[in-house]
Order: sequence, then C-alpha cells, then structure tokens
Amino acid sequence: MNARNGALVLVAALAACGYKPVTEADPSKQPAYAFPHSVHVDAGVACAACHDVASAKKLDPAVRHVGVPSGASRQKPCSDCHDKDPKAVPSRPARDHRLTFSHADHLKLVKDCRSCHQKLPEQGDLVAAAPPMAACTACHYHQREFAEARCTPCHTDLKAFKPETAFRHEGQWLNAHGQLAKPSAESCAQCHDQTYCTACHSPATAATRIEVQFPERVDRSFVHRGNYVGRHTVEAQASPSSCRRCHGSGFCDACHTANGFSASAVTGTLVRPLSHTAAFVAGGHKNDARRDISSCAACHDQQGAQQTCVGCHATGGTGGNPHPKKFLDKHDAGDRSRNAMCRTCHKS
Amino acid sequence: MRAHTLLAVGTLAALTPRFAAAGTIDVDSTTLLNLQQQTRGGVPEQPFELASTATAYEILSLTARDLRGGGIDDLTFVVRTWGAWDIQDRRWDAGTPSNLNAELSTAYAQGRLLDRRLTLRVGRTEIAAGTARMLQIDGGEAVLVLPAGFRLSGFVGSPVSQRFTTRTGVLSWNATGGDFATGGRVGWSLALPGGAGRGVDLGASVALVSDAGNPVRQEVGADARLKLWDPLVLTGSGAYSLWDERLAEVVGRAAFSVTRSVLVEADYRFVAPDLLLARNSILSVFSAEERQIFGGGVSWRALRGLTLAASYHLQLEPGATEGAKKYVGQEGSARAEWQRGPTLAGVEGFFLQAFENGYAGGRLFGRRELGRAFVTADVLAHFFREKVNNQDAAVTGSLSLGYELLRGLSAVVTGQAGVTPYMEQTFEAMAKLVYGATYRKSEVL
Repeated sequence: MNARNGALVLVAALAACGYKPVTEADPSKQPAYAFPHSVHVDAGVACAACHDVASAKKLDPAVRHVGVPSGASRQKPCSDCHDKDPKAVPSRPARDHRLTFSHADHLKLVKDCRSCHQKLPEQGDLVAAAPPMAACTACHYHQREFAEARCTPCHTDLKAFKPETAFRHEGQWLNAHGQLAKPSAESCAQCHDQTYCTACHSPATAATRIEVQFPERVDRSFVHRGNYVGRHTVEAQASPSSCRRCHGSGFCDACHTANGFSASAVTGTLVRPLSHTAAFVAGGHKNDARRDISSCAACHDQQGAQQTCVGCHATGGTGGNPHPKKFLDKHDAGDRSRNAMCRTCHKS
Repeated sequence: MRAHTLLAVGTLAALTPRFAAAGTIDVDSTTLLNLQQQTRGGVPEQPFELASTATAYEILSLTARDLRGGGIDDLTFVVRTWGAWDIQDRRWDAGTPSNLNAELSTAYAQGRLLDRRLTLRVGRTEIAAGTARMLQIDGGEAVLVLPAGFRLSGFVGSPVSQRFTTRTGVLSWNATGGDFATGGRVGWSLALPGGAGRGVDLGASVALVSDAGNPVRQEVGADARLKLWDPLVLTGSGAYSLWDERLAEVVGRAAFSVTRSVLVEADYRFVAPDLLLARNSILSVFSAEERQIFGGGVSWRALRGLTLAASYHLQLEPGATEGAKKYVGQEGSARAEWQRGPTLAGVEGFFLQAFENGYAGGRLFGRRELGRAFVTADVLAHFFREKVNNQDAAVTGSLSLGYELLRGLSAVVTGQAGVTPYMEQTFEAMAKLVYGATYRKSEVL
C-alpha cells in the first residue's frame, strides 16, 4: 500500500470514528476581512448589536465563537444607520486558535468585549489578532502554571505558536535549546511531542538522517547538511563531544567497517589513516590518544576490553602505564573490582 | 523474535484500540525513495568501490491526545515508526545485515493524574531533564509536581539500540550504551510576577547507566534557569562524573532581548570529551583532557522580512603534546535571511579553525511558492585548510520541487549533485509523498 492509498484508508477509518480534519488554512489563501470594525466602534455601535452574544450566554455547547450576522442587509442591525445595502459583506475566514475557552462563562463576568479583543480585524486584514495572553493574565495569575508547564487544558495545542519571550527560538537556538530543556523539559513538551525530538535525537533508531528526509527545508538549521561524510573528520576532531552525544561507537564502525577502516574489519585489506605509520603504532600515538581519544574510539572501540590497546598496555606490557595523571588516585582496587574492563589488564 | 520486539509489538497492539477513543489525532506519513552512491572496499592503493543504494522508506507518526477517564487526564499515545527496504545495494546504516528493516523511534503512553500533578510516561521514550542528556530508553518516567514549587522526576529503563539488537556499550549505536539506566531530578521553581516565564528554575539530577553490572556512566548534575528581569534569560548546567571524580561538563548562557527584534547571546562551555565514552570501554582510561568554548552571537530582525545573525566562538583545545600550551581555535558564522510573501532567500558564511584541520565556506539557499507548488535550491561549499582524502573542497547543490496534491498530501522530488572528498562526482535523488493532518472528534469549547 503506497502512502496515498494508506492515507485514504486512514482518513476513511478516522471519519468512521467521527473524526474530522482540523482546518489549517493558509491565511494568505483565505478571503480578507471585509468589515471595518474601527468605524463602527468609534460610532458607538455595541458589539452585541451585530454579534450574537445572547446565544453564547445560553451555554450552547455548539457555540465556540460568538456569532456574526449570517448576511448583511438593509434589515437590522445595519438599517439602523445605513439606508442602503452596505458594500462590505462580513466574511469569516477559517481560524483555529486551539484554545479551550468558553465565551459563555466569561460573558457573565466580563462586560466589555474589548477587555480581551483589544485589536479587531479591519478591511483587508487576512488574520484577526487573537486576544493577547496578557488579556488572560489580567485576571488569571498564570505564572505558577507557566513554571509548572501546565499549559493544558487552556491551550490544547501550542504547535502553531512561536515563542517570543522566555523560550525565544532565535539566534543560536540550535546550540542553546538543550540548556533550556534541562530545567524545563516539560515546557518543551507543551509544544513538541517526542516524535519531533526523536527526528534528530535518536540516530540509533532513526530511519535516515533528517537531511535526507527534508532536503527541501532550506530554512531549517540542520547539523549534517550537504556532504557531511566528507567533512565529518574535521568536525569530529574540532568537537569530539558533539558526535559522542548522539552516536555510539557501533554507529561509526558500521561505515568504517564497510570501507575497511575499522580494526574490526581486519581482513588483510585494512586501510589505516596515513598517520598510522609503524612509528605511530609503536608509541607515537600517545599524544594523539591523549588529546582526542574519541577519534580513536571511532575505530578501536568495537571489541570491548579485548582489543588492540591491551596487547601493549596490559600491566607489565611494553606500552607502559597508559593512564593520565591522577587517574590512579581516583580509581582504587575497589573500582577495579566493580568494572570488568579493568580486570582485563589488572589481573589482581 | 526477540523479547524486546515482542514487547514493542505487544505495546503497540495494546495501544491501538485506545487511539479510537482519543479526542485529537495527529497523523504524519512519509513514503520516501532515496537513491545515492556510497563508497565501499578500502583496498590499499586502489580506488574505492561504489555502491548504488536505492532505499524505500515508510515513516509513520501517530499521536492521540485528549483521552480522559479513569482518573487520568490528557492520556496520550505517541508512536513514530518506520520500515525500510534496500532494493539494491544495502546502505551502510541499515543497522542490521538485512535488506528489510523496521524500527520504533518512539512509542509511549502518557497520562496525567492527581489533578495533572503526576505525569507518567511508559514505553520507548527520551529523557531530557537534568543530566540525562536525551537518554533514549525502553522504560518509564514519572514527573511529580509538589507544593511550594518543588518537582520530582525519575526514570528507569534500558538504553535503546538499533533494530532491537544488542544493547551493550561497545556495539550499541546508542551513545550511552549499557543495558540498564536510572536516574532522576529534583527541581524547584519560583514564579515571579511579570512577563511569561519570569522566575527561577533550579534542579539537581543524577544519571546512572550500567552494562551487565559494569559502570557505563555515573553522573550527578545541576541546572538553572533564571529570568529575574524580562529581557534577560540566564541558563546554566553542570555535570560531575562520580566514577572519575571530575567535571564532565559546565555550560552557561545569557540571552538578552535588547528589543523585540534584537537578541544578544553569550555562552561558555567546558567539556571533558573522554567522559562521553562508556566507562566500561578500555578507551575511557587513556585520556583526561578538556576543552573550553566561549563566545556569543547576535540576531537582528532588521527590516520587514530580513533577519541578520552572526556568531563567534573561541575554543581552547589540548596542545600537541602533554603540557604544551593550549591551541586556540575559533569558529564563526554570519547569516542573512529574507522572506517576503512566497519568497525566501538566504546566504551564509562560516569558518572553523581547529588544531587538526579547519574550513571556510558559504551557502546560498532559496524557496519560492508557486500556488500549490514550490521550488527550493540550496548550494553549500566547504574549502578545507588541510586536504581531506587529497581534496581541498566539497561543493554540493540540491534542487527540490514540491506540489500539494490534496490538502495535507504533498509530493516532493529532489536532485542533488556535488564534488566531495570521497566522490569526484556524486548524485543523489529523493522522491516522497507526505501526508500530515490533525483530526478532532469535537470542537474545543
């Protein structure tokens, strides 16, 4: 079954269960607002003169937005002022604020609609500005909910919103977002399901690189854009910790083995880096291993403790003590007993 | 069939009937065919062999939300899964020796109890809080919101490996490795009157990972977010390795919104890269070096639709020999992006100078909407300081065409070509069908 057929089956199944698709209309493809609100507000026309506030007060569960006239005509309310048909015909572009909000509950307490609707759409506007959150916080003290990342049930879905304040996604956001996630992971989850995070953060289980999946997203910041294989050695040596955060040694070795680079690909055709001369193997690798052990791990971390280092560096071996300064001060016999790897070299 | 696979299939089967009861369902499906060339062989003195891979993927995400009942609020089921078939040569990152593969990237159930104060998540999930470092586990996490601003979270599970194969550190694709992980975080937050997010978050955390009883990772951490003054957000975190008794990482960042259109950032990072290796790898006992990076950046929404950004960092790396003076590397970038109506255009310049190598380069990209269609172009070039595989540059370009067939259903085709250090000429093609939609059972009141 291809994606189109699969999608059709899925849509049919959802429809059978009573689901309907949410309109995610592109504002630029919607009709512009035609009604000049400011002229009428300035003239003192009450909101309720046009909008069906009364029905909203009746707690009709079908009423989400306060209704507007289904058609303008000489009849009321327009004919109170207009002696001929108005040119503007009210339009209601499709919108989805994804909020849990009851006009009925609020209209009992808030008498002036402008307390919340601070900016009304005018002729030509494609989008009506939703009441700012400050309108909500004028009465509801939301700092605690914000701190506890309890945006639901008021916000049903924050995906369509772009944060402007504490979590502003600008500048070096790609590098900075992890720092904000550590104390506020639940805040991230208010907008992003983990399916969004795993697209980048689970290379062990991903189908393919995100850059392969979304080459058309030229606007997004991707880490491995373009020919990353060609420059990965440069990036890895410049920032070895960046690679190790996401990729285990087995991932590196999957490609290195296919290309004959890995110690686990010893078949008589092993290709060593040009730096790996006989002198390098005999002892010249000391400084390289000390300053960037992650590069070594990309090829030499595949065989557990039973691998190339042990032959020379086991206790009493020709390679001598390989540990950095103060290492033995921090790892006593107790540590050696708790880590089987240590016992590969330290038999007692 | 392995136990992990059975567990995953059983979890999915148990979750499926629940989807039908949810209030909101997000669906995202991608059917993708990718054609590319990869190198193989590596025989000394001989050119690499070329493998032509043709891989078909089906990637599916389902999220069902707003299910209530049984004292549980916001019951949510999330699944992201995929299948792949290597029609021709098998790609190097297939993950198994099979041409037909499938995997679960995410699969969890989440519910909120006790007036939404307790969040429970069970399944294949990622742990982001504290020092867990986006640890992907098969297990569970609980987050409990306590009085007086305190919050307690804990997790336990098994680190995830590719295609349900071995989870041991040395063979796992998971960066952490190991077969058992646990940890948690205790946090305290103070909400202050003012703009959204004004307040303080402080936390202490621990992450413990083992592999057959041997230590893989033993870290404690601390983190903080401070927003005492609306324009300024300060964040910081640190991790300390209990096994090696030294700092693994320290990060600090200040973000200052000078105006709504100007953001200035400064950051500092200390990291000990060797502590990211599993402690049961023998390579973990050879190095104890550290690196420091500091710098900053500025982003400016200069004119209507035009955004300018730049950043610069210095990096202190270990010197060539033990005791030698540290090498001072640097990296920088600048970017201009302009978007007006259906048109997006951008240009980037960047450079990197590190001890071993470095590069300078640039990128040009653009996108144009044409009704229900769009076209994008992207050219990226790197010029290396030291030759890579005897080549001094890599240049790649891509051209994509997309068309919205139906609402929510789009088709995209992409062609890429380039000259790279490992390919004198490289070509890649991608074609995909994407379907994405949100379904609701009822209007939100």
